Amino acid sequence: MHGMPQERIRLLYPLLGPFVLLWILFWLVPLGWGFELSLQDSSHGFSNSVEHQVQYVGFDNFERTLNDPKFQKALINSLKYVVGSVICIVPLGFLLAVALFDIPRFARGVITFMLLIPGLALPGAMSKLFYLFFHGREGALNQYLVIPLGLDPINWMMDPDFIMPSLVMQAVWRWTGVVSLFFLCGLEAIPRWQFELAKLEGFKNGAKFRMILITGVRKLAIFVSVFLIVDGVAAFSGAYTLLGGSGGMLDAGLLLVTYVYQVAFPGGSGRFDLPGAAAMSLLVAPLVAGLLFLMLKSRSLFLQS
Amino acid sequence: MNRFFSLVLVLGFALLSAYPFGWMFFSSFKTNKEIYQPKQLLPEEFDGQAYSLLLEGKYLDFEGSLWQSFFIATSQSFLATGVSALAGFALAKYSFRGKSLLLGLAVLIILIPRQALVVPVFEWFNWLGWTGSSFSLILCGIASGLGVVFFTQSFKNLPNELMEVSQIEGLRPFRLFILVFPLFGPGLITYFLLHFALCWQEHLLALLLLDDSHLTLPLALAKLSDSSHRAPESVGMAAATLSFIPILCLFALFFNKMRTALSQLSLN
Repeated sequence: MHGMPQERIRLLYPLLGPFVLLWILFWLVPLGWGFELSLQDSSHGFSNSVEHQVQYVGFDNFERTLNDPKFQKALINSLKYVVGSVICIVPLGFLLAVALFDIPRFARGVITFMLLIPGLALPGAMSKLFYLFFHGREGALNQYLVIPLGLDPINWMMDPDFIMPSLVMQAVWRWTGVVSLFFLCGLEAIPRWQFELAKLEGFKNGAKFRMILITGVRKLAIFVSVFLIVDGVAAFSGAYTLLGGSGGMLDAGLLLVTYVYQVAFPGGSGRFDLPGAAAMSLLVAPLVAGLLFLMLKSRSLFLQS
Repeated sequence: MNRFFSLVLVLGFALLSAYPFGWMFFSSFKTNKEIYQPKQLLPEEFDGQAYSLLLEGKYLDFEGSLWQSFFIATSQSFLATGVSALAGFALAKYSFRGKSLLLGLAVLIILIPRQALVVPVFEWFNWLGWTGSSFSLILCGIASGLGVVFFTQSFKNLPNELMEVSQIEGLRPFRLFILVFPLFGPGLITYFLLHFALCWQEHLLALLLLDDSHLTLPLALAKLSDSSHRAPESVGMAAATLSFIPILCLFALFFNKMRTALSQLSLN
């Protein structure tokens, strides 16, 4: 490539070395370790004794996990959570970014910062706020939204139908501001001449204008969606603090990582089933990959049309 | 879009985002009874007792948690920024064998979150005998795929002419990096802040890797809200407020730098 020096790899060691070393130590090794663990017999439980004989049972743990109705429930819940939050956050973030782009510059900074605030808070603190401020019979959601609409107050925390929406709402509250900051920066980076050209062509508020904005954030949207999907699959803290480590009523709020935690460690169900949990962890990876594949696929369809 | 409508829309959302945090702050001075009435913003009288209870360590060593979190997040973000910037520079500006493989690895780390690997990580650290120390928590978050991708995009802005000159001069890649990285101050600060925020919020790994004498803030908050402490709600609100202020100040201080860096990121 022009201007990009072809360098002997030896000279690049100081640059790449630390990353590769840490990657091997804290990512690759645990991955292999987990795979080895997932093949072990789990009936002995967690044992540190020296004479403890490890028995390998092949892929039994994976099979057991896939047939576990609670795992299936957690899988579906996590899927709902991820899809729900991406579908709400990305368009809303874009709408807000366009609106922010529209207002005078001096007001932009302050308002964007205010929008960013929930993204900075600890998920645990947000859950606490959700519990005290939004939820409950006297909570803001019931008082300002549900009752004025003439509906019965909703018991957000106890009604299995509403636990998932309330988790999604928490994600929306948390991430929308961050996403709109990213989008706004993308919009600000669009070269001026594109807008002037559009104006000259007489498309002031028209389709062309929107097209420029959308093209401006297309790659950012992918980046943001990937981030949200991964963060959604890994979601733990919010649900953990909100539901106290359980899955909530009828496990309606049981997320994948919460369940892995429940299976592996005491304080959850106390089953100490580390091999099972390891198998479960390893099953999460293809799930994320599959979701991302679907997303990129639908994007290429969207771009063709 | 109509400018007035835009202003109303963003102001509405900004208020919706920020108001609960204002409520949280004022609630730290309220009685339980007042907190259970979310419509009320201001307490009838300001009572700072929750803060003194919290900082005296009546429930847990909150001041210790604050320092612990600060120490872990700062050192991890510092190291992660350095390591990612080094790797990102090499990936953005040099071609070498195995480059696409390495970029693929970085993306793979993003795609498989650490939280999903938490059981194997726990077992691995257990085997090493490192559980319980905050260093294990710091170390396992340094290699960040997000960071490598971020810096690969940032360093692409470095003019290629500079690379040609450096090659004629026979400058080693590491020397060149040392020379040019101060130019990317805003980018470095931005990634530092993003990593800091994510590390500040890390709950699950901290839950598994740390023992009870090293609680970080998310753990302390979860502990305070579990019922065995019988702490008044205002104490929880005070803890949430105190855990929020450091990161809010950091971001407020560097917000403009961050916006500059994000606009320059060649993601478009």
